[in-house]
Amino acid sequence: MKARRLSLAAVAILALAAPAFAQQPSPAGRVKVVSGSAFIVRAGSTVPAKVGQELFESDSLRTGDDGRIGVTFEDDTRLSLGPASEVRLDTFRYAPAEGSLGMAMRFLRGVAVYVSGKIAKLAPDSIRLETPSAIVGVRGTTLAINVRE
Amino acid sequence: MTRAWGGVVLVAVTACLNAACGPQRPRTPQRSGQDLVVLLPNDDGTTGKVEVSNPSGRVTLDTARASTLIAVGQAPGEVTELTEAEIQRIFGPALAAQPPAPIQFTLYFQFDSEELTDDSRQMLSEVLQVVKKYPVPRVTVVGHTDTTGSAESNVELGLRRANAVRALLVDVGVEGAAIDSTSHGEAALLVPTADGVFEPKNRRVDVTVR
Repeated sequence: MKARRLSLAAVAILALAAPAFAQQPSPAGRVKVVSGSAFIVRAGSTVPAKVGQELFESDSLRTGDDGRIGVTFEDDTRLSLGPASEVRLDTFRYAPAEGSLGMAMRFLRGVAVYVSGKIAKLAPDSIRLETPSAIVGVRGTTLAINVRE
Repeated sequence: MTRAWGGVVLVAVTACLNAACGPQRPRTPQRSGQDLVVLLPNDDGTTGKVEVSNPSGRVTLDTARASTLIAVGQAPGEVTELTEAEIQRIFGPALAAQPPAPIQFTLYFQFDSEELTDDSRQMLSEVLQVVKKYPVPRVTVVGHTDTTGSAESNVELGLRRANAVRALLVDVGVEGAAIDSTSHGEAALLVPTADGVFEPKNRRVDVTVR
């Protein structure tokens, strides 16, 4: 009886936990390299970036005058920023089984190197890289962008 | 806001006067308010392709170190090739912060079985060796199927295969918490086929270490 009551409690806890779990977004990528001052901007707050930290859709990467940061995304895309730079990840969708693919990034200032990943292979037209003055379309590509304010 | 890059562009131009820039016309320096886009060679030596466009025009970059300067309200500028030295000067710190390239292993199963082929079984310990070398390693295990059967049942089949490989990786010593397993079903074929086609090469599990 006791065991049964316990298992019922476990089911109840799981049932409560399940919706919260379902809502948790999966990370778009992870920070792999940090040196100097580098930050993640999320929902208006700026936190120092740490190696291993998860990155989500709508986050921005920002570096100070001595900073660098490198991120690897879930689809193997890699992005790194030099000093005094900022890039915003507007969209990241990588769920091929559901037909959901897309990546949109805005290069706001400074220097960045982008190496395309699986999204660029599966659905190149779903990638949108924007600078203040242009849109960059990619086809299996390594590229570098410098935005001067 | 910051004008930190003014100095860098000046350095690049100065260097061109006395270094290995050769007789070629020096590239117009990047001015404030301009964006510079450069196509770099990929790690494997190939070079991709980039289209840079805005409402005023469009240029294609398809050779190594091809670049264009763009400003708001103006068509992308003439394509010019940057030297290796210029690229290092402008992008060196960003290039230095690139994470290591993800490495992918493709594992195959014996016909109609949950058992890996012998070759694929040997790959499990290679995966472990790579995991040991990477900073904060993550391992993604993705099951794939061919196009026989329904798309839904193939997502499930792919997940069963992925979970089988995940268990094997834990057996050889990869930390379970670092592994994500998922299924792409028949949505990411290695060998493109029509629906309903038996294709052993598509029945695989991709293990990526990043």
